[in-house]
Amino acid sequence: MVVSDKEEFELRAHLLRRAGFGSTRSELQRQMENSYEDTVEYLLVPNFTDWMGDHIVRRFDGEASGMINAPGASRNWLYRMISTANPLTEKIPLLWHSIFATGVPKVINGRVLFDQINMLRKYGTGRLDDLLLQLSKDPAMIVWLDNQENHRDAMNENWGRELLELFSMGVGNYTEEDVKECARAFTGWTIGNTEYMMVRAKRDSDWPYGRIAYHFEYREDDHDMEERTFLGQKGNFNGQDIIRIICEQESTARFISRHLYHFFVADEAPVPSWSTVAPRDPEAIDQLVQEYFNSDHSITAMLRTLFNSNFFKSQNVRYQKVKGPAEFAATVLRLGGQFNLPNKDMILKYQQIVWMGQELSNPSSVEGWHEGKEWIDTGTLIERINFASDQLSDYENPGVREIVDTLIKDSAGLLSSEETVSNCLAQLGFLEISAETKYILVRYAQKIDDPVSKITGVLRLLTTSREFQLA
Amino acid sequence: MIEYLLTLGIVAMEGRGFEYPTDSVSAPNARLYVTNKSRNYGERGVRITVLDLDSEFYGTFGTFGTSDGKLQSPSAIEATDDGRILVCDDYTHTVNLFDLEGKFLNRWGIYGQGEGELNGPSGLAVDSDNNVYISDTRNHRIQKFNIDGYHIATFGNQGKNNGQFDLPWGISMTPRNTLCIADWGNNRIQELTIDGDVLSVIHNESNPLYELKYPSGAVVDENGLIYISDWGNERVKIINDEGLMIQNLRGEGTISKWAGEFLNTNVEENDARQASNMDIELDFLDDNDPHSESAHIEKYFWSPVSIKLDKFNRVYVTETNRHRIQVYQQT
Repeated sequence: MVVSDKEEFELRAHLLRRAGFGSTRSELQRQMENSYEDTVEYLLVPNFTDWMGDHIVRRFDGEASGMINAPGASRNWLYRMISTANPLTEKIPLLWHSIFATGVPKVINGRVLFDQINMLRKYGTGRLDDLLLQLSKDPAMIVWLDNQENHRDAMNENWGRELLELFSMGVGNYTEEDVKECARAFTGWTIGNTEYMMVRAKRDSDWPYGRIAYHFEYREDDHDMEERTFLGQKGNFNGQDIIRIICEQESTARFISRHLYHFFVADEAPVPSWSTVAPRDPEAIDQLVQEYFNSDHSITAMLRTLFNSNFFKSQNVRYQKVKGPAEFAATVLRLGGQFNLPNKDMILKYQQIVWMGQELSNPSSVEGWHEGKEWIDTGTLIERINFASDQLSDYENPGVREIVDTLIKDSAGLLSSEETVSNCLAQLGFLEISAETKYILVRYAQKIDDPVSKITGVLRLLTTSREFQLA
Repeated sequence: MIEYLLTLGIVAMEGRGFEYPTDSVSAPNARLYVTNKSRNYGERGVRITVLDLDSEFYGTFGTFGTSDGKLQSPSAIEATDDGRILVCDDYTHTVNLFDLEGKFLNRWGIYGQGEGELNGPSGLAVDSDNNVYISDTRNHRIQKFNIDGYHIATFGNQGKNNGQFDLPWGISMTPRNTLCIADWGNNRIQELTIDGDVLSVIHNESNPLYELKYPSGAVVDENGLIYISDWGNERVKIINDEGLMIQNLRGEGTISKWAGEFLNTNVEENDARQASNMDIELDFLDDNDPHSESAHIEKYFWSPVSIKLDKFNRVYVTETNRHRIQVYQQT
């Protein structure tokens, strides 16, 4: 392989780590038949159908169908992550779920949380206005932030405050009066059969026949119709007007741009400090803000700019993001191929993700998870290593078997230890590791004669490397 | 034609009730045996619940575990005329035999792809000679054993041609001593002789009005009516011996005796339920997905995983997501 090919492989692998869940060598080779820009375009077209299939998951995992609780809903999503032909389609709800973090402790209904993830997938690459409007009507979010208790005569400002602070503009860009007016505009935005659903939620009741999904309901007689002033504009604003005004603000464009940068490019400072700490790369944020307004608030257009930018392609940002636990697990499970059809072993796999520090649909707070280096501590690192080494050292797993058989076949069984390590790195999506780590791996490989044991041993050790924890 | 009779069950992690029931059978003692996988295939939910049509509860057996008489993922159940209960376990790839009181009798079956080996069995039928037919699901075939587990024959393999299968599910004996198999992934029902020869195929190409989508089971009564649990459409469909679909049911679940007892003792919940609209308009759903509809409307079938007849031709539809059985009777 010539150097330029290697660099292009590594760049493409970087893209597939960030916009997806890593890649195998064969996946990379397929993408290398097209230009980098074509790969970006391929990723930007949502693909809702080319995965294992909801019918397959529902048949073989009952709780991933009935969804009494969050784990069933999350397993359904995890099956999508590990089998989708277009991983950005699943990275997008993961992005928004980390921002619009909604949790089961108040919602008490796995199906409703699942519906929210579906909504994030469907609207997550469109106009921000549409996404925020759907979020405002989302039953899980309504219950999570108490908007069913936001009445014309008794305002609850929880949703109004978080919409401005956490979901769109960020602290420092609005007044307390704006918060109140925002909340008033969403009075009457609630869920149907509110009383029955909330009694059941309060009692965590799945009786008599399992959960009943929530649905949005607008109660005009509970809506505050008074004229209001919001962000300097005066009018008879309802919720959708508030969303429109929010999306016109430059602060919103900056806030969303910084989130995209944080998720796809490099870890930023913790979100609560954004009002005082400057972005890591202000020029990158400016580019994204410009595209936000040029494209009428299109997330897809912003992502196109981001993935094609020099700041994204730069060597300086590669391996600078810690993979989140769900992202890490999906990467490993895609490589291992154990779950071509669902089975009950996924229950433990999902639980291991929780032990790594991330329970989907159960964030640590309304602010979501503390990400970046905070994903890693002594305990969670061991969980990661155990999880990955179990999967990728097991020759019975179809993905591992394919890697091993391919390497043995291509080399006629005569792989040197150096070649074994290099080829394993290529099979794991052109993973780049330090010279020191590579030296240790070669030394290890030299001690093993059996080619299957040698390759699976190297794969197992590679999963313990620092670089494998990073994207 | 059939009409709704009643609903059995309530969701419960242990004891009286069901949790993710997968199949049911009316045994010669007129009791109903129901397999439950539970939400986590775990210690608190896996079991066989025994009851009758009056909702009298007779206990459970076959709870979670690995030793004889224990189950991990019970996927199908059948009864012999001489009073034995057979249970498939799709995780241990075994058939487990009990007597009518739940006493363990035998276990057989090993994992694999070879003849006589099983991979995720999820359907079970027994003929008048006590031969056992198994939907060997992940091997995409039907296997025939005697009641002691001796392998007799293997029918089919993965594919779309007649006699081939794609993740087959429910299997039943017909009154004419043939096999009726829900060929799930091929959206069709196949009728085979007990030696594996294809007799007929019910599929959407033969009649587009059927609109079968991932059927989970099919049974045939003495009049030749075929009852199909059309899992992917969340419906039950009835086809007569001329091939006409004469009923297309969406489900009419009501409060079972056990559910009524729960609501009577949980007044706050019952009052809120009585004040709510349980039959909402679904115009907010934009995908016309019956699975989503059933998530919102409790009376609808939600994941009808099994359909069975008793000797009075009553129809039992087991709904895994609603943790209950809707019973229908002949009009």
